[in-house]
Amino acid sequence: MANDPLVRLEGVTKRFGETTALDNLTLDIAQGEFVTFLGPSGCGKSTTLRILGGFEQPTAGRVLLRGEDVTRRPPEKRNVNMVFQDYALFPHMTVKQNIAFGLELKGMGKAEIARRQDEIMSFLELTAYGDRYPAQLSGGQRQRVALARALAPDPALLLLDEPLGALDAKLRGQVQQELKSIQRRTNKTFFFVTHDQEEALTMSDRIVVMNKGRVEQDGTPEELYFHPASRFVAEFIGETNLLTGELRGTEGDAVVMDWFGTTLRGHAPGGVPRAGAPITASVRLERLGFHAERPATANAVQGRVTGKTFLGSRMALDLTVEEAQGARLRAYVDADTGQSVGDAPVWIGWDQSSMAVLRD
Amino acid sequence: MSYDASARQERGTVAAHASDRTFWGRLASWAPYRALVQVATASPRRQFVILAVFPILWVLTQHLGPMLQMLRVSLTDAYPVAANVEQHFTFDNYVRFFGDSIFWMPFFRTLIFAAAFTFCTLVLTYPVAYFLARHVSPKNRMLLLLLLLIPFWVGEIVRTYAIMILLGNTGAVNMVLRWFGLIDRPIPFMYTSFSMGVGIVYLTALYMLLPLYSALEKLPKSLNEAAADLGAGAWTRFRRVTLPLTLEGISSGCTLVFLISTGFYATPVLLGGPSTTVFAETIAGFFHVAGDEWPTGAAFAVIMFLAALAITAGFQRLMSALRKGDTK
Amino acid sequence: MTRHNRILLSCFYWGFVAYVFVPLILMVTMGFKDSKFIGFPIKSWTLDWYASVFADSETISAFGYSVAIAVLSTLISVVVGTWIAVLLEGRKFWGRAAIFGMTVLPALIPGIISAIAFRIYARYLGIEPGMGAIVWSHAVHNVPFVVLVVMARLSTLPKSQIEAARDLGADPLIAFLRITFPYLVPAIMGASIFCLLLSFDDFVRSFFLGGYEPTLPVLIFAKLKSGMSPEINAIATVALILTAVIGVWAERFTRRMNKDS
Repeated sequence: MANDPLVRLEGVTKRFGETTALDNLTLDIAQGEFVTFLGPSGCGKSTTLRILGGFEQPTAGRVLLRGEDVTRRPPEKRNVNMVFQDYALFPHMTVKQNIAFGLELKGMGKAEIARRQDEIMSFLELTAYGDRYPAQLSGGQRQRVALARALAPDPALLLLDEPLGALDAKLRGQVQQELKSIQRRTNKTFFFVTHDQEEALTMSDRIVVMNKGRVEQDGTPEELYFHPASRFVAEFIGETNLLTGELRGTEGDAVVMDWFGTTLRGHAPGGVPRAGAPITASVRLERLGFHAERPATANAVQGRVTGKTFLGSRMALDLTVEEAQGARLRAYVDADTGQSVGDAPVWIGWDQSSMAVLRD
Repeated sequence: MSYDASARQERGTVAAHASDRTFWGRLASWAPYRALVQVATASPRRQFVILAVFPILWVLTQHLGPMLQMLRVSLTDAYPVAANVEQHFTFDNYVRFFGDSIFWMPFFRTLIFAAAFTFCTLVLTYPVAYFLARHVSPKNRMLLLLLLLIPFWVGEIVRTYAIMILLGNTGAVNMVLRWFGLIDRPIPFMYTSFSMGVGIVYLTALYMLLPLYSALEKLPKSLNEAAADLGAGAWTRFRRVTLPLTLEGISSGCTLVFLISTGFYATPVLLGGPSTTVFAETIAGFFHVAGDEWPTGAAFAVIMFLAALAITAGFQRLMSALRKGDTK
Repeated sequence: MTRHNRILLSCFYWGFVAYVFVPLILMVTMGFKDSKFIGFPIKSWTLDWYASVFADSETISAFGYSVAIAVLSTLISVVVGTWIAVLLEGRKFWGRAAIFGMTVLPALIPGIISAIAFRIYARYLGIEPGMGAIVWSHAVHNVPFVVLVVMARLSTLPKSQIEAARDLGADPLIAFLRITFPYLVPAIMGASIFCLLLSFDDFVRSFFLGGYEPTLPVLIFAKLKSGMSPEINAIATVALILTAVIGVWAERFTRRMNKDS
């Protein structure tokens, strides 16, 4: 038991009629992790969440919680709680009654319920609102009540279904920090689902990018951002330069590619693609450096600035690389560097580790 | 059931406070209840069966049953079955209908009356619904609609009686006409198809008004404005835009009113005369006059129900054909 | 042009208001006439007819009989109707359309046919004409209205509410009792009032399924057949006031409910 991960999904598949929502998903989640499932709508992330919650039964595969098979168990018999997208607070119950709901059904005594209510309400700064009804609360307060209600029964795993979607942009940033800190302090395992890549990068220990019912990539936010394995991940998370070329081969760790006659060296986090077919590499905009002389970086090309966009703290430069048949690149630089770059050709350099050759 | 070590510990403390639990906590952990739920929710299928059995039995035996039993009785020669009498299958009750004009005259009269009254109701309530939906601010709309709903909470008999007082020889209409010197002797409105019509329209108007109103209210105002912009006059706008788009409301209102109109019994009895006997009275006769002739009454009721269904079904098909024709 | 239309239509509206109100106002007025003869003009006024109505045990008992029937039949309709609505709303299963069709059937059958069918079926079930038969027929007839109102309300309950309850440890029954049912209460109240009025006002079923004791509408009908009298006006007025007051209250109630949700 002790060696079992908190959650283990084994070959979980879910079909709705003809469509496959989830295709043979196998995954472990460790105790205390903040895992985010990220992807566009229809990618299978919500289906995974609902299968963990017990609201859907997988077509095939098993769900293990601490080594115990719970695949066919209804939601009320799982030690898993959920924060719903619309919070699903019970409108006819006060904040206290909402929080007590799960505790009562666990068979707790009234004194114990009151103690737990007070504890969780002071933890989430809800003490002043105990007797209010959900309709009398602001969006952020409702979100905290939903969290309090789900945390009160002390679940082994907390599921969060895009719980920040209903908040306005300003509040969202604040709540993201709060959520992360609550997760740290409670040491609960959070299973978070979102389509917002920024949100995922901010909060998660680990991100699982989903696409068409399959896992595209599974890793830390940094890994996903700088070392995307696939074109889907590179494009879905942040902004990037996609360089299309031909595979030349490998030299140790390096993957060598030909980009319109220029030889570039990158690495392949998603595995080296097959030779022959055109391949794509991703370089983040801020990883491009500017130099007067040819730099010593693994990759260096000469380019000309064709446009500048002032973005406040930084500047975006549009570049044309003549030696690569006029291919275009885009770079982020700090405002000072941006100002100093003139019309004359400049050297653009980046490391081998800054360029990820993509799987597809 | 619990996977968390700390949760398991809590369950220990929980037992100590059992008497302190809330009602729902006690229920949820009460062994017989848990066993019951365990059995009932063992599978989604079983859960569904437990939920579905009673409603399905109810609608089959209570909603469909009476109609089927009526159909069965209509095909027998004796019901209720007396002692020493054998029940036989027969079509005689249906044959009897066609044999005597005393039967089929009221039948056709009922259908014609119902159709005519339905049409009158439509003509009368369409402008009212139109006014409410188009010319009244949303704030006052509910108030003005509510005003019309109040009288419709009053029962059938009381409202029929009110019409009797309105149209009687010494009734309000005759009194007013006499006051103005338009007549010197009362017009006999009562016990005619006119008084019946006034009464039935009075009773059914709401069932026409509400579907029409909701159809008109759903119609975006911009459509009319667009039509006006394209140069359509008021009449053309109504004929080409409003009317076609409210056909659905007209269709459901007319269906409802027609079905209800064919079923009135007390109103024709009180407001109609010997020359306006409707089929409901004919049917009722078989259940009231000495010597039970229930099978014949049942057969006649079946005939009427099928006729009403056929007519409304035909009407609805016609209306949907019209609707489709207009969108082409 | 539009202005003219507007004035014309508003005349139509107020004309229609007159059509629905004037007969009732006349009927109420006639109940105060100091003469046995129904008709205009009214020369002197009296409250004697009301006094005699309240002294008449037949009327009083018919009134009580109607109320008792309305309450009992409504209780049955509401329980059955809510149950059917919970089964039908938001669930897909084989035969759902057929069950829905059968559910609304009693509301679509013309009055006389419905009464005859119930009369025959009551005999088949062995229910004697009388209170039991009337209660049963009213209950069945009113079920569709409850189903439609409760289904409409139920369709606005977010699915996540039930899921949240289940998630927090409620089995399906407790989730229904603690979440779904409280949410349905306004609809059930509205439907109950509607059923009470339908039953209280019903004539044709009460007439064909009744025994010797008349319900209020049946009593008025019987009295009317033997001749008009201001006494009938007084009885009808009492019934009218009761139903109209309850009706208006129900209307406001349902409107408030719609605003809340």
